[in-house]
Amino acid sequence: MDEKLEPIYQAVLDGDMPAAQESVQTAINSEFPAAEILNSALIPAMGEVGRLFEDGEYFVPEMLIAARAMKAGLEIIKPLLIDSGVEPIGTFAVGTVSGDLHDIGKNLVAMMMEGAGFEIVDLGTDVGSEDFVAAAQNGANVIGLSALLTTTMSNMGGVIDAIEKAGLRDQVKIIVGGAPITDGYAAQIGADGYAPDASQAVTLAKLLIE
Amino acid sequence: MKPRERVEMALNFEKPDRCPMQVSFTPEFADRLRADISIQGERVHNPHGGGNTYELERALNEDMLLTSVGWANSYYLDDKPYVDEWGVGWKVQPYETPFGTGHYTEIDYHPLADESAISSYQAPDPHRPELYQDSRWMIETFKEQYWIVGVTVTTIFETAWALRGYEQTMIDMVLDPVLADELFEIPYRYHLAAAKKLVDMGVDMIQTGDDMGSQNAMIISPKLWRRFFKPRMANFISELKSINPELKIAYHSDGDVEPIIPELIEIGLDVLNPVQPASMDPAEIKKKYGHQLCFWGTIDEQHTLPFGTPADVVEEVHDRLKTVGYNGGLILAPTHHVQLDTPLENFWAMVNTIINTPLDQI
Repeated sequence: MDEKLEPIYQAVLDGDMPAAQESVQTAINSEFPAAEILNSALIPAMGEVGRLFEDGEYFVPEMLIAARAMKAGLEIIKPLLIDSGVEPIGTFAVGTVSGDLHDIGKNLVAMMMEGAGFEIVDLGTDVGSEDFVAAAQNGANVIGLSALLTTTMSNMGGVIDAIEKAGLRDQVKIIVGGAPITDGYAAQIGADGYAPDASQAVTLAKLLIE
Repeated sequence: MKPRERVEMALNFEKPDRCPMQVSFTPEFADRLRADISIQGERVHNPHGGGNTYELERALNEDMLLTSVGWANSYYLDDKPYVDEWGVGWKVQPYETPFGTGHYTEIDYHPLADESAISSYQAPDPHRPELYQDSRWMIETFKEQYWIVGVTVTTIFETAWALRGYEQTMIDMVLDPVLADELFEIPYRYHLAAAKKLVDMGVDMIQTGDDMGSQNAMIISPKLWRRFFKPRMANFISELKSINPELKIAYHSDGDVEPIIPELIEIGLDVLNPVQPASMDPAEIKKKYGHQLCFWGTIDEQHTLPFGTPADVVEEVHDRLKTVGYNGGLILAPTHHVQLDTPLENFWAMVNTIINTPLDQI
């Protein structure tokens, strides 16, 4: 890795937000292309964070501070990415389904997706079918449905039906997650996939839009 | 056999006549149950807070009765938005099930979100006599027959994240441990005072704990747990057992907490609750730790009870009795309050199988 990118990568892994901002700024000052900062430092760093999380070396606090450092770096290069016409790898719209206010898992998934190069549309919590349909209409390639509760997970199927009814099912991939959700349940309601954690959600989403 | 004897035997790794049972319900499931068994409740059933008359628990032949003092009593306080005595804001969230509309109360305001509020924060006073009125009444009324549990859950972590916000509490632990310590001391001191009072009043067991597990892993690393929670829990257990050496301590955490079980045993834990089977295999946990630790829970509330058939429920109860409860050391219970989405047929399959299966037949 380039010596200008190494400190960015390390700052994200360490969850050191000021160091991430500083090292991104240093790279920009020496006219390093923004796309390279994104693709060769920020995204690989978050990929490593995901790997460490899956391996049980990182937990929620470490993932949160890494994502925060990544985001701070990304904010700095965003205008430059737009100027140079760099496109996100896809648009990921995510929300916790109707009746459910739990957002911890949903937020972790959004952070990891952003760290993988997706543009994020965070629909929030207690999100009705119509808002997921609108997100599909507005060009989301992947939609993530989250639920913590057995009493709200049944609303996931309704969202998928609504997207189907709107004639949008073919143009969007739908992934589901949350404590009581399983592979079998995802298949039963017609989702395209299920992931047990935020890191595996990224792998799944990338696979689905390939 | 008296219910309290049944529990006492199980917790001493002896085999009672049948496995002891404990069940709690959301308010709406309690209403359904009351209608089903024609019990006229005088008050709204609150699985956490005061006002419980224990009619349902006794009608079901439960063996342990729970009385709670602490921040967890802020759940289900009202049917419109409210602010609890800690300054935490709550909203009421309806949800639909095949059996009607239910309501959860969910946190939507954190009074210590701003760091500057922490040092000047005044927690409620845990020494107010009125906090213990319900507990005093239930101990006097029921202790002769039932095993009494004083509940002070959400002891440190969960109350702290209600006060400060979940993500910020996580970030504080890694970026500002001194501030995190200051934050955790607030609920810790309160719940320790409440638990000591409950032990003084004569409860048989204290249930303490915080959710440290997510579905597949711990929320925080064992290293952070050792830094912030293990020393506080060790002191909590030792102070309470110095008041009553016969006292049992149960620790509650949802999800997967296997990495810290050996250290919970090391600091004096007697009972682990609820052993969520989708996260930790109860039979494996029993094999590894069952000679030192008892279990309370193990009946799946994420799949079997709401979505299984009565036959699935019977099979799960039998399986637990065979693999975990065969020699004592188990109190069977659903791993959460029974939710409104649970069919009554499944509920009765669980209760009837537990109370009608002599441990000698296992």
